[in-house]
Amino acid sequence: MATVTNWIDHLSASEVQGAVYPGVGSEGILVILGFIIWIGWHVITAKQESEKLQKLARQRRGPNDWKSNVTDG
Amino acid sequence: MTDELGALTTIFTEFYYWITVVLMFLIHVGFCMYEVGASRYKHHQHTLMKNTILIPLVTVTWFLFGWWIYWAFPTGPGLAPSIMNGSDALITDDSAFSAVYYKATSQLMAINLGDHISGVFWAAFLLFSWTAASIVSGAVIERITTFAFGILAIAIGSVFWTIDAAWGWHFDGWMLKLLGYHDAYASGVIHAIAGGFALGILVVLGPRIGKFTSSGEPRNIGPRNPWLVVIGLFLIYTGFWGFYAACNIPIFNLGPEYGMEGVTYFTATNIYVTPTTLSGITFNFLMSLSGGLLAGYVISKGDPFWTYSSGLAGIICASAGNDLYHPIQSMIIGMIGVVIAYKLHYWVERKFKIDDAVGAVAVHGYAGFVGLVICGFVLNGYPSSGYSVGAMWDGATYASINPLGMFIGAIIMFFVLGMIPGFIIAKILHGMGKLRIPREAEIAGLDYEIMEAAKDDEKSVASATR
Repeated sequence: MATVTNWIDHLSASEVQGAVYPGVGSEGILVILGFIIWIGWHVITAKQESEKLQKLARQRRGPNDWKSNVTDG
Repeated sequence: MTDELGALTTIFTEFYYWITVVLMFLIHVGFCMYEVGASRYKHHQHTLMKNTILIPLVTVTWFLFGWWIYWAFPTGPGLAPSIMNGSDALITDDSAFSAVYYKATSQLMAINLGDHISGVFWAAFLLFSWTAASIVSGAVIERITTFAFGILAIAIGSVFWTIDAAWGWHFDGWMLKLLGYHDAYASGVIHAIAGGFALGILVVLGPRIGKFTSSGEPRNIGPRNPWLVVIGLFLIYTGFWGFYAACNIPIFNLGPEYGMEGVTYFTATNIYVTPTTLSGITFNFLMSLSGGLLAGYVISKGDPFWTYSSGLAGIICASAGNDLYHPIQSMIIGMIGVVIAYKLHYWVERKFKIDDAVGAVAVHGYAGFVGLVICGFVLNGYPSSGYSVGAMWDGATYASINPLGMFIGAIIMFFVLGMIPGFIIAKILHGMGKLRIPREAEIAGLDYEIMEAAKDDEKSVASATR
């Protein structure tokens, strides 16, 4: 996995390789992983938010009910 | 890097952009404070979270595809040939500055010892993207779902503004060549588009409950925490310095760049690679801020919320030409922009029942639009690029800046890439039932449950200490 194992060898090579992160060449897989995490986040949080809003809506609170929940600070 | 002077220039440029990113972070801090201060107490935490979550969403999508769009689309595609490869297709070949280097899978999109600029330049543009999305965020507070806002933030932050940047902010952009478009510090490419996008959403989203009387008269829902609003706007001003610096290239030898034999001329340039100075734009930044503040104080009769916002609107209005204006011109242009934006805000509010909670459409959209139009007149005849000056609609060369081209550019920014996409996406989200929170939740307050839990915690602690 390590792209660099010895900096002296690496920097004194006739052509210094630019990319030094682990797993050079696996960028495609990493990007697919990035897409999955991004889309997955939306799916999970959309469900969470929908449930939360429906629960709150069912309680039918008045516009000033929140004032009874003001803490002392 | 083996040449010391070359290394110094490269690492100076790398550090320069890095500093602009840090400064621009303050814009987002400011927007968060400003929005929370403008929202009502029972929505504070939701408002904060909504704006905060755009940071990771826009960042991730900017990495995955937003940055690629900027480099791929300067030619339209199909509208004017690239000066790099002569093609009017997407710039995805191996020519210099090709989008091929900025795919998410590119080895330049990571720590790479052969490249000191891509990451900081990517980040500088990313911070512009956050700003575009954050402008929209303020307008829609207290009634949009976080899900819908997330989708809309990605649309403006990682898609539509980056298309307009490719078209009108890239040195190879077709709008420069065909129209003579000039927008050095983003009156249009950030502000007009984001304001237009916000307006498109607001048409579909509707006003906050209680904003209008049954006869359609608007009620004032003023900021609940003016101090937070003030500090937020001061931070946005501060971050704007970084924004201006990030729109420049700090050191560039224009002689060889323009193909001038034997000419060496090192200078700072704007984004279009035409010469300006950081010193000169400092005059104009402060004078347009001052013009905005002075006009805002008068037109709003000393209202703090509008006076501070007007300072921002003044800068935004003058930004298109602040690389070339005289400071007094900047100040006057800032004043004109503020008066028009303020008047339009209240006219649109009454006429179309649009509830723009923080005046974002006015401060960014209208002021940005007006700034582009004014720039066309004041800078009429200046070259839009240093590479090859030609006529409008020619395509192969760069048209000079002119009123008609700038007006068309303003229409493209505000309506074509801003308001229309915002309206369409909001319509789709509305059709899915995902755009607006339930009426009962809006009345109760989005923070109701968090506040209730905090109160319960307080009671619990109090009972334990008796």
